[in-house]
Amino acid sequence: MQFFFEVLIGGLLSGVMYSLVALGFVLIYKASGVFNFAQGTMVFFAALTFVGLTEHGLSFWMALPATLVVMVLLGLAIERAVLRPLVNQPQISLFMATIGLSFLLEGLAQIVWGTSVRGLDIGVADEPIGWIADRFGLNISKFDLVAALIAAVLVAALAFFFSRTRIGRALRAVADDHQAALAVGIPLQQIWGIVWAVAGAVALVAGLLWGARNGVQFALTFVALKALPVLMLGGLESVPGAIVGGLIIGASEKLAEVYLGPMVGGGIEGWFPYVLALVVLLFRPEGLFGEKIIRRV
Amino acid sequence: MTAARSIGGTILEVDAVSLAFGGVKALTEVSFDVREHEIRAIIGPNGAGKSSMLNVINGVYRPQRGTITFRGVPRHGMNPYDAASSGIARTFQNIALFKGMSVLDNIMTGRNLRMKASFLEQAIWIGRARREELDNRARVEAIIDFLEIQHIRRTPVGRLAYGLQKRVELARALAAEPALLLLDEPMAGMNVEEKQDMCRFILDVNAEFGTTIVLIEHDMGVVMDICDRIVVLDYGRKIGDGAADEIRGNQAVIDAYLGVAH
Amino acid sequence: MLYREAGQFKSTYLADSAIFPLRQDRIAMAVLLAIAFIVVPLTATPYLFSAILIPTLILALAAIGLNILTGYAGQLSLGSAAFMAVGAFASFNFILRVPGIPILVAFVGGGLCAAAIGIVFGLPSLRIRGFYLAVATLAAQFFIIWFLTKVGWVTNYNSSGVITAQPIVVFGYRFDAPAPKYLLVLSIVALMALAAKNMTRGNLGRKWMAIRDMDVAAEVIGIPQMKTKLLAFAVSSFYCGVAGALFAYAYLGTVEPEAYNLDLSFRILFMVIIGGAGTILGSFLGSAFIVLTPIVLNVTVGWLDASGLHVPASAGSNLEVIVFGVLIIFFLIVEPLGIARLWSIGKEKLRLWPFPH
Repeated sequence: MQFFFEVLIGGLLSGVMYSLVALGFVLIYKASGVFNFAQGTMVFFAALTFVGLTEHGLSFWMALPATLVVMVLLGLAIERAVLRPLVNQPQISLFMATIGLSFLLEGLAQIVWGTSVRGLDIGVADEPIGWIADRFGLNISKFDLVAALIAAVLVAALAFFFSRTRIGRALRAVADDHQAALAVGIPLQQIWGIVWAVAGAVALVAGLLWGARNGVQFALTFVALKALPVLMLGGLESVPGAIVGGLIIGASEKLAEVYLGPMVGGGIEGWFPYVLALVVLLFRPEGLFGEKIIRRV
Repeated sequence: MTAARSIGGTILEVDAVSLAFGGVKALTEVSFDVREHEIRAIIGPNGAGKSSMLNVINGVYRPQRGTITFRGVPRHGMNPYDAASSGIARTFQNIALFKGMSVLDNIMTGRNLRMKASFLEQAIWIGRARREELDNRARVEAIIDFLEIQHIRRTPVGRLAYGLQKRVELARALAAEPALLLLDEPMAGMNVEEKQDMCRFILDVNAEFGTTIVLIEHDMGVVMDICDRIVVLDYGRKIGDGAADEIRGNQAVIDAYLGVAH
Repeated sequence: MLYREAGQFKSTYLADSAIFPLRQDRIAMAVLLAIAFIVVPLTATPYLFSAILIPTLILALAAIGLNILTGYAGQLSLGSAAFMAVGAFASFNFILRVPGIPILVAFVGGGLCAAAIGIVFGLPSLRIRGFYLAVATLAAQFFIIWFLTKVGWVTNYNSSGVITAQPIVVFGYRFDAPAPKYLLVLSIVALMALAAKNMTRGNLGRKWMAIRDMDVAAEVIGIPQMKTKLLAFAVSSFYCGVAGALFAYAYLGTVEPEAYNLDLSFRILFMVIIGGAGTILGSFLGSAFIVLTPIVLNVTVGWLDASGLHVPASAGSNLEVIVFGVLIIFFLIVEPLGIARLWSIGKEKLRLWPFPH
């Protein structure tokens, strides 16, 4: 029983980390209707830049804002060079462009900073929390808990931002219809610049956390692939959906691997989240919290 | 100004149809009939439920209550495929053409229910597939001649002006050789000349092919001129039903259009 | 001046519906086929066959499959490689377990198995659309590859995970050398491309495009959504399945799941986008582009290396990835309809040449 709880809680906490990555997707989709396939690569890029800067002598607290600046600039550059020429194109074109972007960033990051695997230390150790282990006999990692807290704070801030502020409303208008938003005077380019910059910052947080846990290596880009079932489950434009989806995917993935895996030869982590999300979509085609698409003729 | 033709028996009967979307009551207990070979109009202020009525006849929406009887076969709710196979065709308020295809291809899709060749036969392009394609092409070309759109037959539909798109949509509906044609605001957004052309086409279709036509229209001049009978809807209820002159003098109708406190 | 249609009138609908209405196009096609079937086998080097011609043709076939599904029917799929894998493994099992089965029949069998799996994974498309569907196809990609790796029966309990493909023997003739393999692949691909062209420009193609452009309206005029979408999945997966079998037997020489990974699915998608979605020609152009670009890059890096500029080894593959990314973005901005569109614009200009308008 204890083991079950350990796996469950471990899964939930890693699920929160998936949510972080999914958040970046949701942010951009909510604000511009663009499904940013490059989000995972942005996470990788951020982590790699941070580590690269620390290797060149910058301390943790200097490298952090420096990387943030890089990510913001990257976001603005993407908006300028990739999105602006594609205004009003169908969603699928923008999606394909982000696939191209992910390839571009991946190659760029590795050419600039090299391809070797690095460790990342954010000061929180991945060891069981003493008093919980003593009291309840459960092994819960300090690191996981801190990561979950950071993610929770970020999510709350973003949820507030979208629903309460003026800019948040403008973002939602832009996501709905580019031309109409332009027609009412919403500064499209500025808004997109802001959004991509914020998404870059979110990618940085995700990159630091994931990098600290798994090491900074190319495989980090696959984390984004794991975030996709989270988006399917939660809905592409829902911040609460990203959280709930992340928790469900994280927990079910670990539980499935531990309890179902041995029955079928293991390795089911790769596809189980996808199949689970697929099944949910059959009942709710826009995800648990996604906006229902109503098509009028 | 209607051509002399014999109006037949009832082809469509709408019986106490009620349709609601959540709390919004689109249609409440609407009943009327449509006789064969006639031109019937459905009019009413915006939001009266006219498009919803067409959607119900056509199977796109299922009413919560009431029946539609088409050609003597009652159906509580049709689905669009059944409606198309039984001889109902329509055009849409916001043009539902296939923007990626040419005019010719769009109209050819209207013939698809008559093209039975399997995909294998089409892949090899022999026998039945080839014959069907060419025969249906000939019929479609006849419609293209009829609606005077020969010069744009290869143009991708997305590039055409609004008025021409509406004509292409009419052509596609005609290609199905329907018994009942539903037109949703066929003259919307057209100038006087285009409207006259469209009126001419509608009357010709009715006269030559005997197609029964139900149309939604806001231009009262057009309605009074070409329609045999009119149904008036307001807030989802029927408030008038009869020939043009009767409707013209109906106080309830006048109130609805001019806006009187309900 | 040369490329004019003046004087070429069509007096029957049959003539008007030809694949190549212009006489000049027909001549060009005949010449191209003559070169492909006669001149190339006599003059090309083994390297040209094995590294360029054969993979281009095979992947073009897969791209045709994806084009049918995504370009014509509008169902975005990120799992084409998985269906290729099904075709390859099914063919392998047919040859292994059905004694004396002609290899071409085994390939068709592989395609049919892929088609069946395609229908299964296409069922969600009746409820799910857009990006949600794209991600659902990833479920197919990951699950199928896992299945083919883990389930022993499929790989004939092979422990190394890499199966050597059986040799291709048709009517007693063994296809070992590159040139005969090339001719075999060329014949299969040419026939299937013709079939695809016929399907897509006929009623079926129109039904698919109607579903793509506006499926609610399509239903209203009597096009059954379910049957049409599932048929698209079936035909598309069939093409991918046969391509997958050819990929294993005529190109790699091995049957392994890793060859059909997500990366390959993306490459096929790029072929469709860059080549031109919704066209058969685009599948070929896109395939040639995607196959040639890494080779060109490699050669360029090697040349730079030789001329003194030292380029680190890893930079080569990273450069390739960067160039791909940039090219995709570039094409989407400049010509979203792909090289095929550039080609037809070129032909239009040629029609007028040497006059300006």
